[in-house]
Amino acid sequence: MTDIHTLHILNKTPEHPRSKACRDALRPGDALLLIESAVLALAAQSGPESDVPVYALASDIVARGLGQCAREASLVDFPAMVDLTTRAQNVISW
Amino acid sequence: MGTLMVIDQPPYGIWAGREALDMAFSLAAFDQPVSILFTGAGVNWLRTYQDTREINQKSVEKNLSAAPIFGVEAMYACARACTQYGLGPENMVDGVVLAENSSDLIRQHSHTAFAG
Repeated sequence: MTDIHTLHILNKTPEHPRSKACRDALRPGDALLLIESAVLALAAQSGPESDVPVYALASDIVARGLGQCAREASLVDFPAMVDLTTRAQNVISW
Repeated sequence: MGTLMVIDQPPYGIWAGREALDMAFSLAAFDQPVSILFTGAGVNWLRTYQDTREINQKSVEKNLSAAPIFGVEAMYACARACTQYGLGPENMVDGVVLAENSSDLIRQHSHTAFAG
């Protein structure tokens, strides 16, 4: 059952130009998965205010000491990350 | 005033930052005056409680703790970037001096090198 239209997987820091391009491409029905350096967006003051569901890879959050500021993202482990990709019609790795 | 290594790359995502840290330690080991400035996404190196077991990497926190032993003169962090990434005394490693103006700091050093 593909309830997600496009899953956007982002691993760039918030300052990287591709992060802005990714955010501009988000549409209702999509989902955003933050991994590696992209999880730093959760620590940034501006924060990733977006109207699509935001997920973040727990091991990357913990590695960067961001445990307490992952509030507006749902944490996923690797199996849950794979499950997300199976629920999406399209997947874009930015 | 010696060499300033600038680390503006995030920890773990790519290797550039670690290479710059190794370069700084090498310079210091050969008694060259060297300091390190963390700016941009690089300030995230300085956050405490980094548990990297699940990503199979050594915590950069451990690398940083060796800086004084190697003889690195000072570690600076760009104050604006720290604010942007929600970093303050309560969640940063010790011994880091907040730099209000990174450009001035760069101009005070005879050599400046960047990571990646």
